[in-house]
Amino acid sequence: MSLRPTRRSVVAGLAGLAAAPFVASRSARAAGSIVAAAFPGSWEDAYRATVAPVVKAAGTDLVLAPALAQDQLARLLATQGRPAFDAMMVSPGQTTEAISRGLIEKIDPSRLKNWSKLLPAAQTEWGPNVTVEITGFAYNPRLVPKPRTYRDLFDNPVYHGKVGWIGFGSNTATLAWVEIAKAFGGSEDDMSPAFKMLAEHLNKGAVIANSGNQQMALYQQNEIAVFMSSVGNVANLKARGVSCEFAHPTTGSPALPVALHLVKGSTNAEGVYQYMDAAISADVQRKLALPPTEILPTNTDVPLTDSLKSFISDADIKNLIYPNWAKINPNRAAWSAEFDRVVKK
Amino acid sequence: MVRSGIPFVAPMVALSVAGFLMPLAVLAAFSFRDPAGGFGVGNYAKLLADPLALEVLFDTLFLGAKVVTLTTLLGLPIALLYWHAGPRQRSLIVFLTLLPMLTSNVVRTFAWIVILGRQGPVSQMLLQLGIIPFPRSFLFNETAVVVVLSQIELPLLLLPIMAVMSRADRNLVSAAQTLGAGPWRIAWSVLLPLAAPGILAGWVLVFASATTSYVTQAVIGGARHIYLPQYIYREVGVLFQWPSAAAIAMVLLASTGVVMAALAALARHPRLAAHG
Repeated sequence: MSLRPTRRSVVAGLAGLAAAPFVASRSARAAGSIVAAAFPGSWEDAYRATVAPVVKAAGTDLVLAPALAQDQLARLLATQGRPAFDAMMVSPGQTTEAISRGLIEKIDPSRLKNWSKLLPAAQTEWGPNVTVEITGFAYNPRLVPKPRTYRDLFDNPVYHGKVGWIGFGSNTATLAWVEIAKAFGGSEDDMSPAFKMLAEHLNKGAVIANSGNQQMALYQQNEIAVFMSSVGNVANLKARGVSCEFAHPTTGSPALPVALHLVKGSTNAEGVYQYMDAAISADVQRKLALPPTEILPTNTDVPLTDSLKSFISDADIKNLIYPNWAKINPNRAAWSAEFDRVVKK
Repeated sequence: MVRSGIPFVAPMVALSVAGFLMPLAVLAAFSFRDPAGGFGVGNYAKLLADPLALEVLFDTLFLGAKVVTLTTLLGLPIALLYWHAGPRQRSLIVFLTLLPMLTSNVVRTFAWIVILGRQGPVSQMLLQLGIIPFPRSFLFNETAVVVVLSQIELPLLLLPIMAVMSRADRNLVSAAQTLGAGPWRIAWSVLLPLAAPGILAGWVLVFASATTSYVTQAVIGGARHIYLPQYIYREVGVLFQWPSAAAIAMVLLASTGVVMAALAALARHPRLAAHG
């Protein structure tokens, strides 16, 4: 047998190499697996440890792909027709975008056994809400007093140089900026007062980070003592022994429901339903409500843990703010560009 | 001989075509797509008319130049040490050069947060010496980005220089000494030309790596120092403007490509190439 290659064998070899990723990908998906995007870090870890075994028992392999909500949208937009995920995990800001861009499908609730156990507010036609993230201030009680309002962070010199800020790529930060704008005379579609305060505050040592994860790293190194955060992030830091407390703004805490969606073009919708059903089941949500994740349950059979009650009282729940994403989303790109212009040295 | 070698290089060629050239072609085509679905140079025109984008482009190129300068200043003494060292010491220097590369770039970058932070050793040392009155952070400024990138990219400069020097004939130095040249003259007229191809190769690697190092630029520089990789990420991840991001990526590729091509052309100069 000759080892000398012919043109035909070289072409066949190259074609085989080029086709290999597609063949592998199809066989992996055909074997009853789904790829679900999940927030990186504690969410991804918790879902891998808690949700994946339940989905596996139902007959589907759950592959978790870590990605922030905005990243998930960006990746789906880049792979329309052949989506990178079967299911996505996002907040209302991205849900609105995903609907308007035709990236997700309405679900059939009758295919979810645990649907009736969900809080009515968690039942949406585009998929179940698996939690509501409550946002406010994460602060270090050893370094600064408890912040009470967004104005405090700008008006009280004790916070100058100790607050971390990020831009509009983050949902938590976007909600905080909207509240800051409102505190200084703006609104959900008028961010100019917030940019004015930010520009003035830059000279007082404001720390501008690139992402929420970077902010948490800076917090742990005592580079900042306050940042806009969800209860979950504070619980996570506390569970690691970091001095961190959560403070609700007296003007109300912005709420961010987290929903699971069926991505249009998914090749395994049945697997996605199994995944959704597992994520809203009482067993899973009971485990996720425990430290270090402390994810607020949406299944009515799951009681609030004592630890969660220490973060959120009934009065706090009544004082939650649900922003109007339909007003916020059209402005987000312009605000993001303006934020960069304001903070750029 | 050439024909019989094809099967061995075919996988690499196929991988390069499928994993680099084809995506690059798609990216280039994407950069000419306008929001209405047509094709044109609108994304490039918008980019080049935006003062912020131009500032970010020049900041990125200057960042690369500053990192190349600092790595050269730090690297040349180590290269000289390598030249004068015996075989065992040379192995040790190569090992110590490679050692940081065994740790992830991300880990090294986060280690610098601790070093340059408010409670870090730099701040504490300056405080103890009475140079600063209270602990302060040395993060979030361009000097910090240049220092950190220089530490991270230093092996990329040193390894090509060491590769060139390990092949150089030591008798050239003896000949220069015999002809009466002093240490500085030898360094300038013999060692530097000998090392030049390695230095230029190192500059190309350091420049390309420093200008595209998203993690270090973002983590050490913070959001107030924006370089092109962060700018591209913002276009894709926040604004979902893929064509615009593709145009910025092509501009980054072209601008770093021009600098690298100039350095490569310099390396082919007869006077330098003769020593390679």
